[in-house]
Amino acid sequence: MSDTPSLMDTTRSEFLKFRTVRASFIGLATFVVLTVGIALLISLVISANWSQRSAIDKLAFDPVTTSLTGVFFAQFASGVLGARFITSEYASGAIRTTLAAVPRRVHLVLAKAIVLFAVFFVASEVVTFAGFSVAQMIYRANHLTTGSLSTSVDLRAVVFAGVFLTCLTLIGFGLGLLLRTTSITISVYVTVLLIIPIIINFFPTSWQDHVTKYLPANLGAAMMSPQLSTRSFSWGTSAIILAIYTVAVLVAGSVALSRRDA
Amino acid sequence: MLKIDHLTKRYGATLAVNDLDFEVQSGVVTGFLGPNGSGKSTTMRVIIGLDRPTSGRATINGQTYDQLKAPLREVGALLDAKALDPTRSARNHLRALALSNRIALKRVDEVLEFVGVASVAHKKVGGFSLGMSQRLGIAGALLGDPGILLFDEPVNGLDPEGIRWIRDFFRTLAKEGRTVFVSSHLMSEMAVSADQIIVIGRGKFITTGTVDQLTANAVGTVFVRSTDPTHLAEVLRQANGVVEPLNDDALSVSGLTSDQVGAAAFAAQVAVLELTPQRASLEDVFMTLTADSLEYGHKNAEVTP
Repeated sequence: MSDTPSLMDTTRSEFLKFRTVRASFIGLATFVVLTVGIALLISLVISANWSQRSAIDKLAFDPVTTSLTGVFFAQFASGVLGARFITSEYASGAIRTTLAAVPRRVHLVLAKAIVLFAVFFVASEVVTFAGFSVAQMIYRANHLTTGSLSTSVDLRAVVFAGVFLTCLTLIGFGLGLLLRTTSITISVYVTVLLIIPIIINFFPTSWQDHVTKYLPANLGAAMMSPQLSTRSFSWGTSAIILAIYTVAVLVAGSVALSRRDA
Repeated sequence: MLKIDHLTKRYGATLAVNDLDFEVQSGVVTGFLGPNGSGKSTTMRVIIGLDRPTSGRATINGQTYDQLKAPLREVGALLDAKALDPTRSARNHLRALALSNRIALKRVDEVLEFVGVASVAHKKVGGFSLGMSQRLGIAGALLGDPGILLFDEPVNGLDPEGIRWIRDFFRTLAKEGRTVFVSSHLMSEMAVSADQIIVIGRGKFITTGTVDQLTANAVGTVFVRSTDPTHLAEVLRQANGVVEPLNDDALSVSGLTSDQVGAAAFAAQVAVLELTPQRASLEDVFMTLTADSLEYGHKNAEVTP
């Protein structure tokens, strides 16, 4: 064992910090409730009202996308939890103790990003698979069409729903590095995810089609939808664009951290 | 060795540190003295890499802080005892620090025991008093068994027993050959706890020396009680003394030695009832030295923490 601390040591330290505050577990619990809970709720509602649906509505029913509806609620939890991993340190002043221990600031960003990626990739996949499975069980019990993880399209939709949430966690973290304050970070995050799409809605349709497909929420929808839409990128392209956003925000965040006084 | 090398730090229009240049010796306790807002904390923040210097640098054994591979094993610093996540326990806080610098985890319990917070190590630090937080901060500084220790206003929030403990502790660290650099705005504290003192004001270096050296060069006052203070005051003023009448029959004289005051009284045929030379305290020296550099210009007002 070499005596010189490495990125691995910083990562172990940050992982310990993550799991030694209760807020992390409350956040993860919120995450489970939002994704699995909403999948359960929506599938129950759809099943209960199935007989009242029109023939066209019945035909349009998508057992996969409906089971992943909770992801659009969970995306707010993802961003907030990612942001808080750094903004809570600014709020308490603990960032100064952290930087005194790890003065190489890019190392710190990498270590925190690795921890967030590892924890939230696992958590996101677990909740999306759980949400999907719960919903399919209910659809099957009510003799509705069901999706199956043995079909590659459905499997891809569920896996990439988790990838989408993981990217959003890292984007929230990157914004937190840039903005430092929890409330401001959350405001900006919600504006990008929720407010900008609403504003774009008021623009001419021809224009909308060129812009909306670049929005994170639309990229996510494309990534977790089994069908191809003409108004969005393919799931693969969408995933690449989202990954570029994620890396860009993280790079901007680590440049900001490196340049500023703590 | 800790070296401050022509360090300047500017925050916007404010010049917080202005071309500071000194070395801090190992094996002694060095006091870093100056009024509030004189740049002590800024200097400390630059030393541990929190703030980037505008020009110049601070080095630890020839390297800047961010070049150190395992900084906590070379420099232990307590700058702000409350700069912790309040929802994490004391032990977990120290364990995270230990992991990041490859310090054995058993060291965590050793330092917790040493500073006397082992019994509350599992409790969230948000509930700690300032004194307990200070002790935990000291534990954090000692974690990597570093050769250089920095403490920014360490006695704040400590009870008298804690203050005595920390003074003895600084001495012990210095005797072990470590560099101990302690800032304070309280002369009285530095007079008893520091061997060497560096005085700054408005970000600029003012003077350095031992407590004795600093007070020896300063002009003391002479306390004199006499049967005719009014007449004596006149005579002493003619002899170029600066005279300040005290209560009843007493005068405080500066600019003259007690011998000169006694001789002048004898010549003026005033009976002297009491004549005492008063050595300048470090407090007086400090007030004189930094009078021009108090940030808000209230030169005669108390310097409040």
